[in-house]
Amino acid sequence: MPLLEVKNLDVSFGLRSGEIKALRNINFTLERGERLGLVGESGAGKSVLGFSILNLIAKPGRISAGEIYFEGRNLAELSPEELRSVRGNRISMIFQDPMMTLNPVLTIGQQMIECLQAHRKINKDNARTIAVQKLKQVQIPSPETRIDQYPHELSGGMRQRVVIAIGLLMDPDIIIADEPTTALDVTIQAEIMELMVELCERNNVALILITHDLGVVSQVTQKALVMYAGRVIEQGPTREIINDAQHPYTQGLMNALPQMAIPGQRLNQIRGAMPGLQSIPTGCAFNPRCDYVVEACTKQLPGYTVSGNCQVACHMVADMKKAQQAPEEVSS
Amino acid sequence: MTDQTVKVSSKLEPSSEQQVASEQQASSETLVQIRGLYKKFNISGDFLDQLKFKGGKIVREQEFVHAINGVNLDIQKGEALCVVGESGCGKSTVARTVMGLITPTAGTISYRGERIDDLNDKQLLPYRKKMQMIFQNPYASLNPRMTIGQTLEEPVRLHNPDWSAQQVRDKVHEVMFSVGIDPSWGERFAHEFSGGQRQRISIARALAVDPEFIVADEPISALDVSIQAQVLNLLMDAQEKRNLTYLFITHDLAVVEHFGTRVAVMYLGTLCELATTKTLFAKPRHPYTQALMSAIPRLEDDRPPHIKLQGEVPTPVNLPSGCVFHGRCPYANERCKQEIPQLITTEEGGQVACHGVEEGRL
Repeated sequence: MPLLEVKNLDVSFGLRSGEIKALRNINFTLERGERLGLVGESGAGKSVLGFSILNLIAKPGRISAGEIYFEGRNLAELSPEELRSVRGNRISMIFQDPMMTLNPVLTIGQQMIECLQAHRKINKDNARTIAVQKLKQVQIPSPETRIDQYPHELSGGMRQRVVIAIGLLMDPDIIIADEPTTALDVTIQAEIMELMVELCERNNVALILITHDLGVVSQVTQKALVMYAGRVIEQGPTREIINDAQHPYTQGLMNALPQMAIPGQRLNQIRGAMPGLQSIPTGCAFNPRCDYVVEACTKQLPGYTVSGNCQVACHMVADMKKAQQAPEEVSS
Repeated sequence: MTDQTVKVSSKLEPSSEQQVASEQQASSETLVQIRGLYKKFNISGDFLDQLKFKGGKIVREQEFVHAINGVNLDIQKGEALCVVGESGCGKSTVARTVMGLITPTAGTISYRGERIDDLNDKQLLPYRKKMQMIFQNPYASLNPRMTIGQTLEEPVRLHNPDWSAQQVRDKVHEVMFSVGIDPSWGERFAHEFSGGQRQRISIARALAVDPEFIVADEPISALDVSIQAQVLNLLMDAQEKRNLTYLFITHDLAVVEHFGTRVAVMYLGTLCELATTKTLFAKPRHPYTQALMSAIPRLEDDRPPHIKLQGEVPTPVNLPSGCVFHGRCPYANERCKQEIPQLITTEEGGQVACHGVEEGRL
């Protein structure tokens, strides 16, 4: 049994103008110790998916269909009390902006001890010892003095390390990290990412990494989900997706990266922009921007085609595979 | 405070070899010339905040952020000069100082050989027509209460007071068309557009007065990957068609590799390496550039390991002595801690400010 299994998950937001589906029919599994990347542009629904695993979606949003199984329990059906025993305990979350996550009027130690005492019967001194040990794990220099400092006394990179340490406090099974390094500089990003991979491997923690950066996904994760307009359009082993993307959107995203183009030449752009959730085109949501579009694409929602170890939601995958194998025929 | 003023003025005297190097570089093609640029920001608040009680006496203390510490840079006509560095390294301050949005503490900025940093607003007006700026956040840089037609017409009318209303409208239509925004959308407000479209409008606003020099401060970092490519292509098209010169500020080295003609790497307000893009990416010389390049998340599996830097970027309030990078540099020695390195020309034709490279250790 996988550690986490998401089945046919739908999330919708009830607005005055009607209900908007932010996520449609999401399916994936996560094994113990596995690192999964959720990739996509803003508005694709990757953060909503990350939040919905812990049922953290704010009203008017709700999980309108589907199940989220974690250790055999359906998280979507748990009561708020039962959920609280899972949140921060078995599954913890790291958010994008460490300044917003940490309470500015409490010292780091107070916040860490509070978290430990909320989940376990433990006295202050023991909690403090664990907190110092976790700070040491995330390579904060002189943790014994740092623990009594306030968040504003630390730099951005240090703060994010503290947030990771808090995420690790209860030795969780899964960490969900929502763009954990987007607010940081590249050199700090590289250090934090290396640290997270190392900690996950050492403690056998599974990681769900939400990011828009394909480079980070390629470096950190083993499995990836590419999202577009609330749907998973491609999922499979990260290396396979990076080296041989099947879906035209994933290909486009990859080719749009400056490192894929010849310096000085134009980048390969995807025309247009992602549709808003109110105006998702019928059929495949990507069809107005796609170069391979056929009639079926504008009429029918594509199902998942298995290609290698990947699942791809595209009508044309089978045809494109054929075309790749015999490129001469296509050109003629 | 006096101590700091002395330090600044002593740094100001360029060494003789530096002067020679900069004169060699200044060809007839130089569009913008930055010499000995310093900028410090006073962060000590108002007069009463500056008074401190120390050793039984009330003393006045001031603190400064040393944002730029002696930058010399030439921007050649037709090139795209990229300035890269981490947050707080002073790259945006350089951009704003060049545009005259910030007055430098010391140093000069010349445009086509004429000094512009000491001009008043009225004298600057003709230069403003030639130099335009694109800002990072397209959500903040467009006036929410103006239609985009009004936003685009304003600079055209200001810089061409003798144009008729029809001429202004034609010009606005032309630039809107050239950036891929439907001219009939002129009645709409900024909030009706997506981030990518707003950035196109910002670019259109810069292009509307037919500038020859554009300063772009992180123009694509607020955008999604697929939109980044569109905007970057647009900037390259505009450069080709209008023969523009760019000063491009970014933290993204992958973009630099693709877009830039030359790259200037900044660290804590100083220039640590300046080279053509090809040279820099083929063989980065400065230890900081090497670390920065190894930190880019790459798609390939078999990339070289990331060079870890010790510690964090020091605050620009208390600058380290000597080479500003010495605290994090794996190759630092005694000389690095004391002496400020000057830019020297390497055999590849780039310039690097590092004692290690100069001594042949690196």
